[in-house]
Amino acid sequence: MINLAQRDIAHSLGKFITTALGVGMLIGVVLIMIGVYRGMVHDAMIVPHDISPDLWVVQKDTLGPFAESSRLHEDLKYSLKGFLGVKEVHPLTFQSLQIPQGKKPIRVFALGYEALSGYEPFTLSAGREIQVPHQEIIVDTKTGFKIGDRIPLGRELYTVVGMTHKAVSSGGDPMVYLDLSEAQELQFLFSNEQIRNDRTRGGNSASTSTVNTFVLKLEDGFDPTGVAKELERWKHQEVYTADEQATILTKNLIERSAKQIGMFTVILLIVSSVIISLIIYTMTIGKMKEIAILKLIGAPNITITKMIGQQSVLLGVLAFIGGNLFAHASAGIFPKTVILVPTDAMKLLVIVIIVSILASLSGIRTALKVDPASAIGG
Amino acid sequence: MRHPIIAMSGISKTYGAGDSAVMAIKEATFEIFSGETVALLGPSGSGKTTLITMVGCITEPTTGKLILNGELVYDEKWCIKDTRKLRRENIGFIFQSHNLIPFLNVKENVTLVPLLNGISDKEADNRARDLLEYLGVGDKLTKMPSQLSGGQSQRVAIARSLANNPKIILADEPTAALDAERALSVMQLLKKLSLEQEVAIVVVTHDERMLPLFDRILRVEDGYVREDFLRREG
Repeated sequence: MINLAQRDIAHSLGKFITTALGVGMLIGVVLIMIGVYRGMVHDAMIVPHDISPDLWVVQKDTLGPFAESSRLHEDLKYSLKGFLGVKEVHPLTFQSLQIPQGKKPIRVFALGYEALSGYEPFTLSAGREIQVPHQEIIVDTKTGFKIGDRIPLGRELYTVVGMTHKAVSSGGDPMVYLDLSEAQELQFLFSNEQIRNDRTRGGNSASTSTVNTFVLKLEDGFDPTGVAKELERWKHQEVYTADEQATILTKNLIERSAKQIGMFTVILLIVSSVIISLIIYTMTIGKMKEIAILKLIGAPNITITKMIGQQSVLLGVLAFIGGNLFAHASAGIFPKTVILVPTDAMKLLVIVIIVSILASLSGIRTALKVDPASAIGG
Repeated sequence: MRHPIIAMSGISKTYGAGDSAVMAIKEATFEIFSGETVALLGPSGSGKTTLITMVGCITEPTTGKLILNGELVYDEKWCIKDTRKLRRENIGFIFQSHNLIPFLNVKENVTLVPLLNGISDKEADNRARDLLEYLGVGDKLTKMPSQLSGGQSQRVAIARSLANNPKIILADEPTAALDAERALSVMQLLKKLSLEQEVAIVVVTHDERMLPLFDRILRVEDGYVREDFLRREG
């Protein structure tokens, strides 16, 4: 039997492909939006993954250090070290900075750590770790700096000694790593004028011996939840396990952004569905005369239904392929990470096929109503 | 005894209802036999197209009785469920502007109806080739309708109408879009087909020059269908 859908498409192939690619770009944007969400989750977990602690100790009643601000006295580390089961304690600071890069400033997320403790909360891709706790910095390749570059930060000039690759914060800003004491000064040390003013007022400027969190590694065999309970009980701080911190990051921190992206994706899907419906309907309306002839010469409804349905599904599948190619080709140019997952694409394909079938229904309904007598001209 | 291939008895068609009702065909009664070529004449709006669409089981009559090929098709209601199948198996259509399916090539246009009737690809293909050869367009098998001249398109349309071995061919002004020479050639072809293949051919026409080629003439005026005996006597 002749495949009418195939013949009709072949007859106006250019028009069909152009239409499919147009719809495909919309589908591509849907895929990219899903990829942006995946990228957000991925980015949010990069730093915690590199730090890889068993426990996070943060300020009481906060969701710190990422979702909420958290401040702790640095000397808390000595008493934390004394707890049963605690193997290592590392104080960390986090802060967003804007640093000059050529003529344009860039935003970075700075992590302060005890550089000479042997603890490395990053994975180096080039260069070395900080060996002198003064004026040395490790930066991510996304900052655009190279080893040996000098970066003015606060009152100091830092030299890039090491590089990480694709280390970004939950907000997508590239990471930089400094020695803890310098990071503390950057975050907590006031300007000379402010210090003078504070002294005149009779007060003291804030101490720089403050950190945002302590990350703890436990001895083998100790249950993180049990140790966390003990720490909370005795030290009156908030303590999160690695899983709890991951939940805070992926649920609390990026929840609104994720919902925003989700809403945008749903709207895009609805717009794509409406456009596919309109295209299929217009394509069917353009074939009314042929459909009337087909009915007149005796073609059954199933033949006409199959023709429209097959064209609709083929349009959807072709648009999906085009959308996929578009998404993969353009994912790299986005400033934030876009992760395209095959399972997301497969789910979208199923949705596109269902939408295409539903979209063809109005066209089929119209086609089946065509009066075959209209082919005669009466 | 000869049986009519088309038998209409008291067929009427009314469009609309109440005060706005228009009776397009009034009590039409006639018979057409196999091998006959019948012209359907009448001014525009007289009801010719309504009549031909009722014979073709496209438009449902309002009253009366219609028998096609000995089978009661309409008797105050459709007596058969699938009128499209009936058309596909018994009736061929030829239109004023050939109305070939533009996205099918010549051969596919002709094989479509046999294939819909369940004929094998090979048999439908052979029949299409024979018909197109017979009609002088055998070398156009793979051409698209847009690549054919008006006369060639109409010959392909005739081949399509014959592809299902119909008992009846209904033609709506098949020569209107052709010049005089090609129009005469097409009508002569239809006449030849009716005789050779025992097909009843009903042709809606305005072209008085073609009338000598018809066996009978039915005139439709104000919804009434009358046999033109003058033509037969002449």
